[in-house]
Amino acid sequence: MSLWADKHRPSALSKVDFHREQATQLRNLVQCGDFPHLLVYGPSGSGKKTRIMCLLRELYGAGVEKLRIEHQSITAPSKKKIEISTIASNYHLEVNPSDAGNNDRVVIQELLKTVAQSQQLETSTQRDFKVVLLTEVDKLTKDAQHALRRTMEKYMATCRLILCCNSTSKVIAPIRSRCLAVRVPAPSIEDVCHVLSSVCKKEGLIFPQDLARRIAEKSGRNLRKALLMCEACRVQQYPFASDQDIPETDWEVYLRETANAVVSQQTPQRLLEVRGRLYELLTHCIPPEIIIKGLLSELLNNCDGQLKGEVAQMAAYYEHRLQLGNKAIYHLEAFVAKFMALYKKFMEDGLEAMMF
Amino acid sequence: MDIRKFFGVLPADKKHDHESVKKNEKIKNRETTSNGKQKAKEIKVKSSSNEDDSKQKQANKKKRIIYDSDSEEETQSVKKSKNPPDRKASSSKPDKVLKQDPVVYVSETDEEDDSVNKNSSRKPKENGTSSSGRQGTPGIQKSDLKTQSKSKPVSPVKLTPTSVLDYFGTGSVQRSEKKLVASKRKELERQLHEDEEFARTLAMLDETPKKKKARKDPEEKQIVLPAKTSPNTTEKHKPSSKGKTENSTDDTHSFTAKDQTKSESKRTSCSNPESSVSKDRKDPASKTLPVKPSSKLVAMKQQEENNKKEKTTLDPAAREKTASKEEKATPKKEKVSPQKFESISPEDSEKKRVNYQAYRSFLNREGPRALGSKEIPQGAENCFEGLTFVITGVMESIERDEAKSLIERYGGKVTGNVSKKTNYLIMGRDSGQSKCEKASSLGTKILDEDGLFNLIRTTAGKKSKYELAAEAEAKKAKSKLDKTPQKTEPEKRKISPAKRETDPKKSNSTPDKGEAYKSVTKETTEARKGLHFKQEAVEKKPAAKDEACLVPATSKGSGDGGLLWVDKYRPTSLRTIIGQQGDQSCANKLLRWLRNWHRNTSLEDKQAKPGKFGSKDDGASFKAALLSGPPGVGKTTTASLVCEEVGYSYVELNASDTRSKKSLKEVVAESLNNTSIKDFCTGTSHSVSIKHVLIMDEVDGMAGNEDRGGMQELIGLIKHTKIPIICMCNDRNHPKIRSLVHYCLDLRFHRPRVEQIKGAMLSIAFKEKLKIPPPAMNEIILAANQDIRQVLHNLTMWCVKNKSLTYDEAKADAIKAKKDTKLCPFDVARKVFAAGEETAHMSFIDKSDLFFHDYSLAPLFVQENYVHVKPAAAGGNMKKHLMLLSRAADSICDGDLVDRQIRSKQNWSLLPTQAIYSSVLPGELMRGYLAQFPNFPSWLGKFSSTMKHDRIIQELTMHMSLRTLASKRAVNLEYLPYLRDALVRPLTCLGTDGVQDTVALMDSYCLMREDVESIMEISSWGGKPSAFSKLDPKVKSAFTRAYNKEAHLTPYSLHVVKISKRQAGFRVDSELNEELNADEVQSDENEQDAIETDAMIKQKKAKPSKPSKAVKNEESRKGKGKGKGKKKD
Repeated sequence: MSLWADKHRPSALSKVDFHREQATQLRNLVQCGDFPHLLVYGPSGSGKKTRIMCLLRELYGAGVEKLRIEHQSITAPSKKKIEISTIASNYHLEVNPSDAGNNDRVVIQELLKTVAQSQQLETSTQRDFKVVLLTEVDKLTKDAQHALRRTMEKYMATCRLILCCNSTSKVIAPIRSRCLAVRVPAPSIEDVCHVLSSVCKKEGLIFPQDLARRIAEKSGRNLRKALLMCEACRVQQYPFASDQDIPETDWEVYLRETANAVVSQQTPQRLLEVRGRLYELLTHCIPPEIIIKGLLSELLNNCDGQLKGEVAQMAAYYEHRLQLGNKAIYHLEAFVAKFMALYKKFMEDGLEAMMF
Repeated sequence: MDIRKFFGVLPADKKHDHESVKKNEKIKNRETTSNGKQKAKEIKVKSSSNEDDSKQKQANKKKRIIYDSDSEEETQSVKKSKNPPDRKASSSKPDKVLKQDPVVYVSETDEEDDSVNKNSSRKPKENGTSSSGRQGTPGIQKSDLKTQSKSKPVSPVKLTPTSVLDYFGTGSVQRSEKKLVASKRKELERQLHEDEEFARTLAMLDETPKKKKARKDPEEKQIVLPAKTSPNTTEKHKPSSKGKTENSTDDTHSFTAKDQTKSESKRTSCSNPESSVSKDRKDPASKTLPVKPSSKLVAMKQQEENNKKEKTTLDPAAREKTASKEEKATPKKEKVSPQKFESISPEDSEKKRVNYQAYRSFLNREGPRALGSKEIPQGAENCFEGLTFVITGVMESIERDEAKSLIERYGGKVTGNVSKKTNYLIMGRDSGQSKCEKASSLGTKILDEDGLFNLIRTTAGKKSKYELAAEAEAKKAKSKLDKTPQKTEPEKRKISPAKRETDPKKSNSTPDKGEAYKSVTKETTEARKGLHFKQEAVEKKPAAKDEACLVPATSKGSGDGGLLWVDKYRPTSLRTIIGQQGDQSCANKLLRWLRNWHRNTSLEDKQAKPGKFGSKDDGASFKAALLSGPPGVGKTTTASLVCEEVGYSYVELNASDTRSKKSLKEVVAESLNNTSIKDFCTGTSHSVSIKHVLIMDEVDGMAGNEDRGGMQELIGLIKHTKIPIICMCNDRNHPKIRSLVHYCLDLRFHRPRVEQIKGAMLSIAFKEKLKIPPPAMNEIILAANQDIRQVLHNLTMWCVKNKSLTYDEAKADAIKAKKDTKLCPFDVARKVFAAGEETAHMSFIDKSDLFFHDYSLAPLFVQENYVHVKPAAAGGNMKKHLMLLSRAADSICDGDLVDRQIRSKQNWSLLPTQAIYSSVLPGELMRGYLAQFPNFPSWLGKFSSTMKHDRIIQELTMHMSLRTLASKRAVNLEYLPYLRDALVRPLTCLGTDGVQDTVALMDSYCLMREDVESIMEISSWGGKPSAFSKLDPKVKSAFTRAYNKEAHLTPYSLHVVKISKRQAGFRVDSELNEELNADEVQSDENEQDAIETDAMIKQKKAKPSKPSKAVKNEESRKGKGKGKGKKKD
């Protein structure tokens, strides 16, 4: 028994539910027997990983699904030991180098090299290359990405890399140029609705289309989220009603409350409260860019046309600086403070205009 | 430049409450009616201070009141001043003032005080100490005097003990350590204490040469005694004998004041009665002349006060005689006080409100408007000598501080509050009401700013009192030279070292002092010789040094030019140690402890160990003492002097000696059991000489390879020692010292107060023929952070060039020599945002220097606290306030960006830039009033919990990765909330029946029991309890049992970290780890095989029987406790 999102995951490229033409292209690519390094990117919940696993299965057969988790211990040149866990089958190795934090370069250098340098034993039955799947490549430091560059070319004979990330903007250009970029876009609303219905059918449930659409919209075209929501709805109430509440995650609720707190009052005391709330969000490992995005979308609901543009520009500015800086809370707080000042001014000016 | 100008200052709302004026008047009226007319006058002064007192208490504003006696110094200045016009002025005004009460209570209850107090939580402490110190003074004196009189009851030197105490400040012994931080407060204190110590010092200096003669003069004592007893008689028959005393005192006065070049014998006889006494007496004498016949009461009062004063300052003999009188006098005084309180209590609440409003308006008070618009006049040298000023309100063209230093430069004195002594009240804009009111009631001249400038221009200069004193000294010397040309030379030499030895024992033996000292040294050296030391060379050095330091007399012949002042003027007796006069002072505690040491230890051997807490006070249970305190306060000096006082010889080991475990054992342990040769010689040898002490100096320096294990050895020594051990260190909270503290009597030395140091320093300056004005000395002492040694060194340096320092020079030099003191980050945070005088004079560099006190913490502190500040520039406008907040936040963000550059690229040269962004700019923008004590940055805590949660999520992601294929972020944002609900729901809905569902779900996601806890922890928001914790304990335990009942296969190994550490040498493979788990030690070849099989084990869907057995083996081996063990990995 597992959640629907995992239970109904397609395991072959022929069975994927959307972006079918892309799936066939990938299949053709594999059937040629060889393929270049891949850079698979796309938003969360669009099926990147599913597609990669299907691809590997296509490549190596069912053996690729026999996964194991391994713990590697790598000694950095500075004698520092780095522990990292990898997921491996006999044919491929999946690793998230950014787990090692600042030492991801060492992981790339050491781990990748050892894997890439070793030849496959039975080339007759298998492909003559292994696959190394690197996830969250966009979180790699620049050093690590540079370390990757040369390795990619040098061990081309024995190893293919599949890089998986959300956005290519943080992947350096040399790497992008060495890879075949595969963009997996988020499924359209219709796609999501379709998947939801088919899953419900498999589960033996009657699923109203309206609800499917609402869930799809609410999930932000994130299929995984949509499925999880759908299942939560099912638990909450069955039979489904098309206007039933769709349960939200706690952090979304919390974030919205925070935004409302900012709008409802603009005082230093409130700024302090908001700081506390922002800290709470950050300690729950909610990424700051998501926080700022969530804040913005809520704040914009309370802004007038002219102010909207200003606030959005502001949010972009602070989000950019947040990426450049160290401490996210500073920038989030500065954003909130700026918004408060702007909003207060706007409101007071508006009041004055009303008076005269 | 006033930064406020840049940020659009709004006019502060100034609310002047006229109510308070009325109130005060009302009170006064009531009092006037209830009491006699004359009495009321006196009460008014007292009551006003008392009023303030109670006001403060009610307002909960933690103010500090300093009761201080101004009169002595004032009168002296009157006496000394030869300038006829000035004399007229000062005598006409203080006339009235002095008439009532020579003791003036100066209460610091003005707005400036508020500004000081607003952010200080340590004020109450200060309050307590300062007042108690003052009140405690007589007691301390008494005890001191008693001990002295006990030892040498009829010594002629008896006359001077009082001055000894005055000399070194009799104030409280305890004081707060953070002096520089509260430098503002100090300044106020300084205003109050200022000159009187110096005056006393001068009085002393006048006397000391006479003292010499006095010894030869047996008559002198008889002269003194009648003079002393006369007040007693006058008190009995007050009206009648008044005239007599006046006459006698007048005589004395006329001799001392008028002519110093009179014949030697006559002068001594006249001036030998203490100068302070004569001065005191002089006041009434000169003042009572114009007294109206009706004012008998005043006269009586006066007499009483005089007597009281004398009693406190006179020698023991007079004291005992007047004791009964004293008792008589005190009830009268007490009678007054209840009335005061009664009259005040009803208006409490209103007072509070008024006070608060005044305080608020003070906070919003703006700075000078036309700074520097007027030319500051040049006045004659010392033209304000003896004048007292009070500044209130804001000047138009100069800052208040500048005005103060201007007045001080011309020899005037600036006090905090209006008293009878105040000559001028300088009034500016937004002046304090109570001051103006008081000034008008006291008839003080009120000047505005221009008036002050005019006064500077017009007032004629006069010679300063210390110049006069110096001249007098010179004249005396000259006359002496004329009289006994061959005698003066050695005698004068003797004076300087002898001056400080006013201790009866020492000074009594002055004629053969040199010999006495020599004998002492002989003893010490002899005793020292008795100790067998391997490193004789090491030992010799300190010994030689000690001799040189402790016995200045020996170096007399060679001239004292070669000695450092620090050594030259090193205290030679316990009494002369600055700041250690009190009965409860560290020196005295140490003395008592040392005296009783042998008795205590012998007692201890016999009976059971007494409770540590019971005997904590005298430290009887401790075998060692630990003196701790900042450098330059006299720890080493105290220790050595205490040893001398008790008659012990000591062995000193300091950081220059090797103090490792071994050497300590060899050197010290042996010497502790040694016998002094001296005892053999005298034939009174014990088995072990008990007459020595081990002084371990600088124990916090016991570090590094050299002194390895030294601390443990020292503790071991202390446990078994047969002689007392005195340890010394600077920081008793140092981790190295911490273990030692438990075995030692803890004596903490604090920095002496400025006034305590000042007296001694001024006397030294005088001996060295330096001219340093007292306010300048204040600056010097403050700059050295009350480090006596530092002050002396600085003085030496500055005075090589020229023998006189003006106020300005001294101030400039003092600023240059300012010790770099490290502020704690809390103070930095406070100072960054502090407005007003504290930061008004800080340069840009000063402000950025604040950041560098701790550049890693400072930005965090600023960020944490900038929201709490109420910026002055906003002026209460919320819009503006928010704007400033936003700008400050932006600047902090910029600082963060710079920080990133610094840390990631090691570009440390950018630190100053970060200082500007992270500290200076936010400080400037938000400059204002920090409503609370700075918070500790919460970022640190939040960051660590973020990291913890991150690790948990990473682990969860790893555990679930085979099923979810999701990244960490997706797991956190999307899976966990739903997964939590899916896990908890069966338990909440079905209770124990749902347990199986939950366990099944966990198995499908490869979660462990601990993971469930982690999920619950991560997905609880806002401190609310998670759904899981709300479950029925029965269900929970059922769930745990159900989970533990069956073995769960996990695709990940459970003991990774531990094993990989154990197997550091091996090529670490997870395969290998698995094998080791199953206790199968395999060769490399086997391993190769194992890869296949193990891979199958971990494979989720197909479970071959063989590998699972291996896992089960492991599980059964670990048993139930395994679950807990895993977590630790």
